[in-house]
Amino acid sequence: MAEDISFIVSDRSFEKFGMMLILGTTGDAMDVKMNFFFTFWGLHLLRRKFKPKAAGMPFPMKGMGGKIFSKRLKKFGMEDPWGLIKEAVENGNMKLYPCQMTMDLMKIKREEMWDFVEDPIGAAGFLELSANSKIVSL
Amino acid sequence: MADLTLNAIGKKCPMPILLTKKELKKMTPGQTLELIVDDKGALKDVPALIHKTGDTILETKDNGERITFMIQKA
Repeated sequence: MAEDISFIVSDRSFEKFGMMLILGTTGDAMDVKMNFFFTFWGLHLLRRKFKPKAAGMPFPMKGMGGKIFSKRLKKFGMEDPWGLIKEAVENGNMKLYPCQMTMDLMKIKREEMWDFVEDPIGAAGFLELSANSKIVSL
Repeated sequence: MADLTLNAIGKKCPMPILLTKKELKKMTPGQTLELIVDDKGALKDVPALIHKTGDTILETKDNGERITFMIQKA
């Protein structure tokens, strides 16, 4: 089994958020180190006030879709997704890295993000920390 | 009788796994945990977790509606 996985997140949909949430917290439970590198639109997922929309829903329903999915996840026992992510980060198994260059490009500030997000890194930094891990694009 | 019981009825992936791991962290070696779930995914997921943590599943019962695992902390 892989001991170390790096994910690239370049999309801000509810679906990608869900994948990050489920894989990251489960990786923590199984003591797998998981790095998530957020770039381009994916950076929005790290903003405290951001509510992701369901990309797979037909056009006028996307925002509603995100809310409906959140409600259903609550029923499945996932009451506080960001609380679970925070725990996984504090356990040292899940790390959230924003990409510095695309933060500047998208005009997204570090202060808008959750405080347990790591300091921003660049492409070389991401490749270096992924030297011993598989890289997967979410 | 298990030392501890975790009722995860109604909870779906990955919650049974996250909650089981939390319980296991609190337990001392040799203690047993009875885990009750109704998420079918748990049939594969719980053994995958326990394989990774190095603990032991002593017994698995599936009555079609709920699955009960007896887990012993290593």
